[in-house]
Formats: sequence, C-alpha cells, structure tokens
Amino acid sequence: MREKIKKTGLLLSLLVFFLSSASWLLAGGDLLIKNATILTVTGNTIPNGDVLVINGVIKQIGQNLTAPAGVRIIEANGRYLMPGIIDTHTHIALSGTNEGTDAVTPEVTMAEVVNADDTSIFTALSGGVTMVHTMHGSANVIGGTNVVLKLKWGKPSEELIVKEAYPTLKFALGENVKQSNRTLLPGRPQRYPATRMGANALIRSELMRAKDYMAAWDRYEQLKKSKNPPANLLPPRKDLRLETLADLLRGQLIARCHAYVAPEMIEFLNLSREFGFKIGAFEHAWEAYKITNELKAAGVGISVFIDSWAYKMEAAEGIAYNAAYCTQKGILVSINSDSGERIRRLFNEAGKAVKYGLTQDEALKLITINAAKQLGVDRLVGSIEVGKQADLALFSQHPMSAYTRCEMTIIEGDVYFDREALLKERAAASTKKGGLL
Amino acid sequence: MNKHFKKRQPASVRPLTTAFLILVLVASSINMAQAGRAEVKPAYALVNCRIFPVAQPVIEKGTIVIRDGLIEAVGPAGKIQIPEDAELIEASGLNAYPGLISAHTNLFLETKEQSQTATPEEYLEALSQPAEPKEFPWLQIVEKIKPKKQTVEAYHRAGITTVVVAPHEGIFQGQSVVLNLNSDQVSKMVLAQPWALHINFTTERGVYPSSPMGTLAFLRQKFYDTQHYSQHLQKYRQSPQFLKRPEYDPFLEALLPFVIDKKPIVFQCNNLEEIKRALKLIKEFKLNAVLTGCNEAWRVSQQLKSASIPLLVTLDFRPPASSVYAQQGQAIREKAEKELYPANASNLAKEKINFSLTSFGLNDTNFVKNLRAAIKAGLPADQALRALTIEPARTLGLDKQLGSLEPGKIANLILTKGELFDEKTSIVKVMVDGTLFTYEEKGQ
Amino acid sequence: MKIKNMKVNRIKPGLLKNKNQLVFLAALLGLTLLSIYSFPLPAAAQTEDRTEVVAIVGARIVPVTGPVIESGSILIKNGRIADLGANISIPSGAKVIEARGLVAYPGMIDSYSWLGLEEISGVRATVDNRETGRINPQVKAIEALRYDSMHIPIARANGIVAAVVAPSGGLISGQSTLVKLDGWTNREMVIKESLAMIIELPALRRGRGEFAGFRGQQPQVTTEKTLDELRQIFEKARMYEKRREAARKNILLPPPDFDEASHFLLPVVKGELPVIFSVHADKDILQTIKFVQEEKIKAIFYGVEQGFKVAKEIKEAGIPCIIGSLYSLPPVWEDGYDALFLNPVILNQAGVKISFSSSSASTAKDLPYHAAKAAAFGLKPEEALKAVTIYPAEIFGVDKLLGSLEPGKTASIVLADGDLLELGTKIQKVFIDGKEVSLENRYTELLKKFEQREADK
Repeated sequence: MREKIKKTGLLLSLLVFFLSSASWLLAGGDLLIKNATILTVTGNTIPNGDVLVINGVIKQIGQNLTAPAGVRIIEANGRYLMPGIIDTHTHIALSGTNEGTDAVTPEVTMAEVVNADDTSIFTALSGGVTMVHTMHGSANVIGGTNVVLKLKWGKPSEELIVKEAYPTLKFALGENVKQSNRTLLPGRPQRYPATRMGANALIRSELMRAKDYMAAWDRYEQLKKSKNPPANLLPPRKDLRLETLADLLRGQLIARCHAYVAPEMIEFLNLSREFGFKIGAFEHAWEAYKITNELKAAGVGISVFIDSWAYKMEAAEGIAYNAAYCTQKGILVSINSDSGERIRRLFNEAGKAVKYGLTQDEALKLITINAAKQLGVDRLVGSIEVGKQADLALFSQHPMSAYTRCEMTIIEGDVYFDREALLKERAAASTKKGGLL
Repeated sequence: MNKHFKKRQPASVRPLTTAFLILVLVASSINMAQAGRAEVKPAYALVNCRIFPVAQPVIEKGTIVIRDGLIEAVGPAGKIQIPEDAELIEASGLNAYPGLISAHTNLFLETKEQSQTATPEEYLEALSQPAEPKEFPWLQIVEKIKPKKQTVEAYHRAGITTVVVAPHEGIFQGQSVVLNLNSDQVSKMVLAQPWALHINFTTERGVYPSSPMGTLAFLRQKFYDTQHYSQHLQKYRQSPQFLKRPEYDPFLEALLPFVIDKKPIVFQCNNLEEIKRALKLIKEFKLNAVLTGCNEAWRVSQQLKSASIPLLVTLDFRPPASSVYAQQGQAIREKAEKELYPANASNLAKEKINFSLTSFGLNDTNFVKNLRAAIKAGLPADQALRALTIEPARTLGLDKQLGSLEPGKIANLILTKGELFDEKTSIVKVMVDGTLFTYEEKGQ
Repeated sequence: MKIKNMKVNRIKPGLLKNKNQLVFLAALLGLTLLSIYSFPLPAAAQTEDRTEVVAIVGARIVPVTGPVIESGSILIKNGRIADLGANISIPSGAKVIEARGLVAYPGMIDSYSWLGLEEISGVRATVDNRETGRINPQVKAIEALRYDSMHIPIARANGIVAAVVAPSGGLISGQSTLVKLDGWTNREMVIKESLAMIIELPALRRGRGEFAGFRGQQPQVTTEKTLDELRQIFEKARMYEKRREAARKNILLPPPDFDEASHFLLPVVKGELPVIFSVHADKDILQTIKFVQEEKIKAIFYGVEQGFKVAKEIKEAGIPCIIGSLYSLPPVWEDGYDALFLNPVILNQAGVKISFSSSSASTAKDLPYHAAKAAAFGLKPEEALKAVTIYPAEIFGVDKLLGSLEPGKTASIVLADGDLLELGTKIQKVFIDGKEVSLENRYTELLKKFEQREADK
C-alpha cells in the first residue's frame, strides 16, 4: 500500500495534467455544486446552498437549483465552499526569480518566463489557491514587472495569464537589496546601494533619468512633426529599462514595494508623491502597525505574513497582530505565502488572524476579496457572486478552522484538484485492502 | 641533348627503384585512410545498387555516375551510360542514400565541460575575479575547429557526411560553419562559411543577464540597439553634416547582417517555453530564424505550425530540468525519456510540420540508437530520411547542392548493406565530395 | 517529604549528656537533610505563591487521560493539582479563578524546538543551536539556553508550558534538555537537564551546501555508512569505559587519556540516556531500528517522514516517534502531496506513540496547529491532543508531572476560550507549576506601544 502511494501520486498528477488539457473530459466549465455552506465573502453565508456554473461563470446561487443535462453535479454535503484563494505574493510558475546582478532591472518581464510545468502549481491547488501574483524577487531595488496567473494546471503557459489584472512593477528595499546578509568576495564587490538611503537615492535618480528619457522622445516627436524637421534628426535610443520606468510615471504600471521597517515605507510613500506614481501595496510590511495613519491616508494596502517572523533584523519587530490591527484601522490587508510550501496552507495563516482580533469572516477576506482588490480583479473573482468567474475551493470544515482540508479546487468551472478522485485512484492502485484511510 | 633525357637507368637499379616506388605508394595509401580507405579518382560508376534519391522514387537497380566530386548522372541500370574512364564499383545488394546531414553539432570543438558541480575552491577562485560577460556574436567558429580523423570516421559510420559546427558558449554564441566530412583539413571541408548566428536561451553568471527573464530583455535590447545603430549608420552615410558620429560598436556590427540584412539566426530552444519565447522575438523583429534543440516541440505544435519556421529537432530525449516530467521523481523522468520524448518527431510528422533531425547533444552511437528509437516510436522511415537529407539542405540554403541524389549535386552518398535505419545495417562505403571511403565490416 | 531516620547511634555516647541535646541534634540533622532533599526535586524552587491555594471554578475540563468534565473545578495546592472534578470542595481562603465559558487543558509540550537557542535566524550572532564539527556529544543545550528569548513568552502565551530544546547539526549534535517555559534563569526552567542525545542521520534528499551563494552538491553519505561509523564510536566508548574501570581497580594499569566523545557517550551506550535519532527514509528507519536493538540503547525517532511505510516495524520495535514540523513539503514527490500529513495518522493507527514538534523557535507557538493539521487528515482529535500533552510526557518520562490534568501532577494548566488546537482560540490564562504566568510578550508589548499613538492624538 505504501509503495503504491508513490506510483499513484505521480500517475495521478500526470493524469490530471493531461486531462485538464483535454477539457472535454472534465465538466468543461459547467458545474452544479449542491448543498454547500456557501461563504460568499461579500454577502451572507448561505447554509445548504447551491451554486450553478455555466461556461465558467457563476450563473445562479440559491437553494434546490437544477442544472441542464450533462452538467457535472458535485455533492458538497454541507462542506464549505469559498472563493478560490488568491495569493498576492509568490514566485512559483516562473523560470527564474531574481535578475540579481544590476540593482535596477525594470526591463525584465516575468510574464515572459511563465513556466506552466512547475509542480508548485499543483501544490498550490491542493491548498485551494486558484490565482497568484507571481513576482520578481527582492534582490534589486527595482526588479521587473510581475504577472498574475490562474493556476490552470496542465494548460499552456499563455492561458494562465490574467490580462485584466493591474500591471505591477516590483520594488524592494532593505536588507536583501543591500545584500547585507551575504558574504562578500573580491570578485563580487559591494554593490551600490549598500544602505537604505542609497536605495532611495537610486530610485530617485533612475526616475529622473526616466523623465529625461520621456522628454527626449517628446522633443523628437515634436521636431519630427514640425514644418522643417532638422536634417540630423534621429530618434533617441529605445531603452527598455527607462521605457518601463516611464510607464510607471505615466501611470501604466503600479508599484508593489517589498518593505519591512516603518521608515522604508514612509520614505517610499514620499517618493511616490514626489514622482506621482501609484503604489499597489507594500509587501511584508512588518512594521505597518506603527504607521497605520500614513498608510490609511495614502490609501496604500499591505500584503503580509501573519506570524512567520524573526528571520532577519528587519523582521525583528514584526508582530502577529499586524494584519488584524491594520485591518481594524481600515487598511486593505491581504495575506501572502511568498513560498511554494506555505502557499498550500495559506488558509491556515489567515485563520490565525482570528486569534489576533478579527472575526472568521474578516479573516476570510484576507485571502479572497482583499487580495482581488489589490490585484485589480475584484470584479472577476474574490467572492461568490452571480456574474463572477467560478474560481472556487471546497473545504471539509470551515476554511478558518485548523481541522479543515481542501477537497476540491475549481477554476472557471473546471476542476483542477479533486481529493476524492485522488483517493479513489490510490485505493484502486493499492493491493492491500482498505487503502490509506 | 636527347641523350640526357633518355638516359636509362642501369638494369641493376631498376628493381630497387620499383620496390622503392611500391613502398612509397603503399605507405601513402596507408596514410590516407586508416581503417577506411579513401580514394579519390576522377570518375566513378556505382552499378546495380538500390538507389534512394529522396527527390525521386526509389530506383530498384540503378547506376550513379560521379565525376570530379559531383553527380553526373543517376538512373535505372539500363538508362545510364557508364563512361569509359569511370572506376566501376559493384554495388549489388547495397543501398545508396544521400549522405546524411546533421545541421547542428559541436564537432571538433574543445568543449570544456561546464561543470555545475565545481568544488568550493574552484568556485572561490572564480569569485575572486570580477565577472565578465561572455558574448561572442562575432565569433567565426570555423577558426576554432580542430578536425580529427577518428571523429570523421565515426560520423561516417553513422552515415553523416555533412555537419554544421555551431559555437556553444554564451547567449550570442557566434557564427556556425557548414562542413563536408571529406578529410581532416578545414579548408577542404568548408561548404558555407558562415552559415548563421546562433543564440541560446542561457544566462550569464554573476553579471547581467543572470536570469531567463534578464536574457530575454538583453536580447530584445540588443535587437533594438542594432536597429538604432543601423539607422544611425545609414543616416550618417547619407548625410554626415551636423550629425554626431555613431560610436563604433563591435557587438552591434556583428549583429547587423542578421538583424537588419536578415541573414539566418538559429535560436536554441531547450524546452517548450523557450520555443514560445523564440517565436515571439522572431515575430517582433521579423527575423529570418531557425529553431534548434526543440525536443519538446510536439507540445507546441499548433504554434509551430502557424509560425512555419524551419526546425532542427534534436534526437536527444533527455527531459529538460524544467519539464513537468523531470520534477516528479526518477521513475517518471525515465519513463518520459523512454516513451514520450522519442515520439516528438513522429508527433510533429502527424501534424504535418516540416523538420530536420540533428545529432545535437549526442555522439555518433547515441545518434543512431536514438534515430532508430524515434522511428520505432512512429516516425515513418522515409520521413526520417528526408529529415536528414533534403530538409536540412533546404534550411541551410544548400538544397541546390546537397540533400538528394540528382545530377549536378555534390557527390555525398552512403552505401549500406541493409535498410538504412535497421539494426543490423552497416555502412560499407561513404563518398564525400567525390572522395570514396571504404569501411570494411570489422566483424560487427 | 519524609525526614529519613538519622543513624543516631553514630553520635558518641559521651556527647549525649541528656535527652534534650539528642532532640536538638536530631532536629538540626533533620533540617539539614530537609534542605538537601529539597534541591533535586524536578520542580524548581519558585518564590511566589507556591503554597497558595488556587481554585479554577466553572470550567469545562479536558483532563486528556479521562473523560471530559462539562463543568468542574480544579484545586491547586503547592503547585500541584490537589483535586479536580465536577463537584469538589474548595477550601476557604482559596484564590478563586472564575472560568465559566473557558476550557481547561493540560499545558502542551513541544517535543523538539530551538526555543532559547535562536533569536533571529538570519543573524548568526543570535543563533546557538548548531555547533561546528560532526561529533559533539559534550555540548548541552541547557548551557546556551537564553531564558529571556522573546520567543519563549510567545510560545507560552499560546498554551505551551514545556519544550524540548535540542542542539542540531553534524552527526552527534549534543544533549537536548527539557525545560518548562517559566523561570528567571535557565536553571530555574530545567525539568530534565540532559534529556536525550541528538543524533542526526542523513536527510532524504542530497543536501545542497551553501557557501556565499555557492550551491554545490555535497556528496551524500549513506545512513548505512553513518550507522557503521556510530557503531565504531559506541564501541570506542565502551572500550574506553572498560579500560577506565580496569585502571580504577588496578593501580598498575595506566588509565586511558581523556576521550571527550567517549566520556559523554557513556550514558548512551549504557542505555541510561536515550537518543533522539533524526531519521527520514523508510530504509534508513529500518536500519536504525536494527542498530538500536543491536546496540541496546534507548531510542526515540524524530522526523520519520517515511515512517508510514514501515509503521509495523516501528511499532514492533516500540520506538516512539516525534513528528517533524508539518510546515514542509513531502521530501519525495512520489509519496503524494499529503504524505507528510498522513504520516502521523498512519503511525498512530498502527499503534506507534507519536508526538508533535514545532522544530522552530520563532514559530514554536504553532505546536497545536501541527497536531490539528494531522487531525484534518484523519488523526482522531483526541489523539491529536494527546500527541501534544500526555504522549510527549510519557516519551520523556515526565508523565508523573505533566501531560494531563490529574491529582498529583504539577498544575500546568491552560485556560482557553475554545478548542486548544483551533486557530482562532484565545488563551486566557496559563499556569505553570501552579503559578499563573504572564501572557505578555513581544507582540503585545509592541502592539500596546503603538496603540498609544492613537491615544496620543
């Protein structure tokens, strides 16, 4: 039996991988989930409710619904249906994480290096996660543009990208950027910036260069259109690095800034005011509880861990009350995993927020609608409402309970993770009677 | 006066001279080929062989006439006149095929094994030096090759008579050369120099770009810079007054023929995502491109079909590290290598996608073994033959000279005992540029 | 405690002038003995309120080793549970703690942690859990334990009253200690100073050594080779002892030179000090069982990620298993995505005694959630609770003091507003050895400080 788990585990994930690309074999985006405790997130909880999904969209929510012929019916038997979990900060499903050489590399585009073969996608699905904001790492002050993906395991990489999400640019401040936790060697001398003030100065200088770049192009366009354009008129050199920064200044990108300590956040807010760019959220933001006024006034949210702290000096004054306290102060808070392991228990992490002052319903928002709002996709996902995409997760107990487990993960009406089916496979492959459980 | 010229040697010396001459002849013929005897005669006629011209249907019993390294005539036995001065080669019971072309190899290069597992001391040593980017767009690989007779022979025994030798380091790797394996002297071997610029989706170490996304941005920026450079150069040439002189940039100079003049660029794609990334770049910059590697091509067949780009498909079946088949344990990886990846070529054939096969990443023995495995996995034998003859010839722009047995083309051919891709088949004679190599069966 | 009878007849008759002197001397000696006997007691001397009588009334009581009492009281005297039940008599003068709406549990025990050995894991100056070198049986975790670590009050505030603090690294990492999470110094925290020797066998996957960012593959030594090495080391220790003994008995024999490793391994090879083996793959577990039986040592397994494959053999060998942190991925993909969670379930069902661990300092407070995770995948909730209370107490031989709410045991009690293993539960009170301990910690201090900012407006 034990040896068979091996084979069935790998066979099944292969099976799921192939089946999901042959979508005619699955429900094809049509489902009827019956008798579930529906956690809508934005409305009341519906005990014993049904959800009808047609073409990947939630068509109806109610009691005793019927489905057209051929639609797969899932008997929830009172189990808990919640919107698919959204992780606003990961590095999964990418061919690389950090362009860790130059300190400013906004030209790198994570959307170009999506890797749909990454088994971390399956791991995330097993924890009820349906959407991730997968990012450049924090090695550089300005890292690159990020991408939002739906975890459609088995589908080609281009089908994972969520085009409707805010396009974001990764910024990072603090110890990682300073490389202060690294051993330096002669061939790898200390990179600028080695201090937090250097990091901010670097951002300022780069943005000023971007402004000059934009001006150079404006000048060129003007001269070109003029009555007598000069004979020696040549367009400026197209610089992808400065183009991306120009997009930020034009408002076509929003900044997502990895920052831990309060001064970093205060000063980044100042930078955003100085140059007029938008901040989507602060990542990690361990000391956000110290500056709730400033964050609230700026309308900037945070994307944090609940209590995985004390691994660096800048995380030494992080407190587990951070997420709950900031939520109570009116800041938009989401919980993230930043890990291919923690992503599968993100719901547990949110559940801890109840201990620190939130209700179960408020805690649930931290991994659903709040995350969707931060990513700009709250019109599509993040809650169970008629008209939204059917990104759903089915749990054995309330998702905020420590005793719960994810049983099924659905994206746009297609089942991408099915524990019941997996157990059946194992039982069938097992030689000893009774199977595993 | 006549006396001097017509002076004859004394009778006693004649046997000695003859013996000496014989010795010299024997010695020189041994020199020319070790196990395989290479002969160059002005004209040959191969008679009574079964001919696979590739461009025409099979000729059951035919004649091929070769003169001065070119095919003079090919046809059924009765129809072809055998010239008087042709050396007759009896080939009954043998099959004649065009010599195989492997359009991507790293042959004759001193490859320093890029050891991923350097010792800590080596790593420290490397870290003590400042990191330098290693890019060689200007590199003419023909200057680095050191042909070896043994390798030529080994590849002959695999049926390969023409190879592309491509550079193998860096992102912009350099420019390849097409060689005929007719000897071990570079100048004699060169068919086309250079052929293409080679680009690989790899990264630098310790210096930009050190990540896959960095490499893509780097490539794109270089292509834009080349366009801008060309624009500037052109303008400067037309009217330099009041115009700042373009600063000479050897990197961009090397890229001009390929990015602007659309000479061929080969992108090495080591997994399915890199194929997609290459296609995107090719479309954006309207490049004249070829894809190589492509061992996961079947997984992107729809996109490849619409892109209609020449493919050089390797017969290396090892799943790339990023593949889903390589992340789920040894058992799945081995299964994929044995069953899934060998079917790559046959899947492409089913989708009616044209492709060439190459020995990239393999040695001569593995190439033959894997070729047979690919056929076993469903690739039709005649398509395999085309993928190693006329298709690569076309991709290389040499289809007027190579890739099939037709009059006027270069005399590259192989004579086999048995069907080309069968297990028991052996190659008995190889002709390259009209030079005939004979390989006795060493009791295989 | 009883005063042992003095050997009165040792006093010279001459000194005993009269009966009064006799009594006086007896009392003096009695007091001396009293003070001697009071030191080795496992419960360290506390200054406050040990003799105070405390009564927790109206709580729902979960004794763990007995049926749940829906509404009852617990009487605490001299740091011990004097009585508990639905209707017990509460002496007058007792400090009454109203616990209606709360649930009383025994305090939890963390079976493997780095509490007090690690403050900020990325800052080496604050990390003391890993000595250099392979063979270090001489190092003792208690001697590095930083009792004012900020992680200890946080763990305590979540209902953990005792923890195993273990050194790590190399092959023989050192001696772990069992401490209660209360005390003004590390010595005041000691329950068992030297609990078990830690021995770490090779991991399942090849370790990737890291040096200044260098990721080379270290050559993996097999468990088989490692156990051979251990055999030799143990044999060396035995021989060392034999020679020492022989030298003691015969003055002509020169004693052997001091051999640090052998000396500190003696309690292990004599079967007195148990060994916690960090072992992972199924084949390695079987080999280690064989090793333990051949060497005749006491063993506990830790980690045991593939224990479920050899549960029967582990049960037959009678070796308890400390489950490693469940905040991890299965080391072998083929075992299945949930292998790590099912592992303790299968072991428990096979009759193996299991306990959970945090394997951490900064997330030590998450101990109950590892247990709940296993419950989510099939472990009976009662068993999950036992695996953080009575089972670790039994494994470490302190079940007479801890692990359940029973008269006679120390009053290490947690009052929670709900299920102890649930995420949202808030702990209201924690008693360790009868003393109510403060639940203030780094989190609450910083929160209070910055809540002040609102008030200052």
